[in-house]
Amino acid sequence: MLFFLLFILEISVKLWYHLTILILDWCVFMNNNMITILICDDSILVRKKMKDTLSKIGNITVLEASDGEQAVAQYMDKKPDLVFMDIVMPKKNGVEALKEILSFDKSAKVVIVSSVGTQGNLKEAIEAGAYDFLQKPISDDSVIKIIKGIK
Amino acid sequence: MYTQFFGNYLLNQQLISPDHLADALQMIKNTRVKIGILAINAGLISAEQAEEVHKEQQRTDKRMGDIMIEKGYIRESQLEALLKSQQSGHLMLGQVLIDNGYMTTSQFANALNSYKESNKITDADFYNVKDNQTKQLLTRFYDFNGVSDSKYLVGYVSLLMKNLIRFIGDDFTPMQSEKIENFQCNCCAYQEVSGPFNATVIAEADINAFLEFASRYAGEVLTEYDEMAEASVGEFLNLQNGLFSVNLSDEIGEELTLKPQTAERNMTLTNLKNTFKIPVCFSFGTVNFILCL
Repeated sequence: MLFFLLFILEISVKLWYHLTILILDWCVFMNNNMITILICDDSILVRKKMKDTLSKIGNITVLEASDGEQAVAQYMDKKPDLVFMDIVMPKKNGVEALKEILSFDKSAKVVIVSSVGTQGNLKEAIEAGAYDFLQKPISDDSVIKIIKGIK
Repeated sequence: MYTQFFGNYLLNQQLISPDHLADALQMIKNTRVKIGILAINAGLISAEQAEEVHKEQQRTDKRMGDIMIEKGYIRESQLEALLKSQQSGHLMLGQVLIDNGYMTTSQFANALNSYKESNKITDADFYNVKDNQTKQLLTRFYDFNGVSDSKYLVGYVSLLMKNLIRFIGDDFTPMQSEKIENFQCNCCAYQEVSGPFNATVIAEADINAFLEFASRYAGEVLTEYDEMAEASVGEFLNLQNGLFSVNLSDEIGEELTLKPQTAERNMTLTNLKNTFKIPVCFSFGTVNFILCL
């Protein structure tokens, strides 16, 4: 009887040990594949729509900013993997914020998202160092394509 | 676009009252165009023949299409084509007006023909309007004469109508524009644009119409007047102005500068100059677009 109880105890300890290792490995795996994305837009609706799209992809931590100043501050604080940046925003516009972010981190990936998809805006954004440019209204597909590109 | 302006044509010709139009727009969603109206629209039968078929249908238990074939007004193949034809908004409006006794079938048929003739449009134009046709229609429809800086106004309003159809729905009738000096806004979102076209553009409505407009643009039901509802109407304006800037950039190589959109309740506009109100009657209520030039 004692032998049997010791056997059960040993099995349980081994089982817990392996289970803990498995959970820790899973956490490391998830963490390695997790990306952080900052959404900067003064419209709560646009931010919500973008969050809905990102939630479909999964493994994404979402940060938000509602003006250019907040966007720069959030970037410096959290260093996200990708930024979606509106142009027309209060306090500091998206292109100014993009330039500040790039002066802080040359490798920053900032996608400009704007309803004003003119050649002039596109040129300004690309010259300022934007990673890509999306014309509003944005489709899920275009967002997913960009995220796959950075993953 | 011709579909949207047909209701207004009926008003201008004093064939219906604004109240009847408002009633009809509310009922339009639940309407199906009957074969008689489709046959009139296709030019297969006259209004008198449609009336005759309608009376016979009330006496007998036959379908309208079958009666028309029996009388030799249309062929079976034509009936099949009619049954497959589109439930266009202007025909749905006509059906509601006739069903409610606001117009007779003859009045509707005559109005439809004269509308087509006066605008030199074919049936195909109702479904596929070319850009220059839209601008011509708007120029005939809106009186922007006497407005300084009106060069790009027709192009702006033309894009607005297209965006309303694209993002909100096609169940609306634009009403005549009105020059205003003072206005009391209920719920509104607005955005200022500058460049070759300088304007503050306001979208205004009572709370119910504002929420429905916001819901349709957001693609979700918004029942409370809150930041999300304001953002939704504001974002529609932002999109309209952004796309207009793209058009201007393509046409004349110049761009607009947009300011962030804002929303406000109970805003009072006074001492306005060069300001137009364009009411747009949707099935859920009226949304006013105010252009302060």
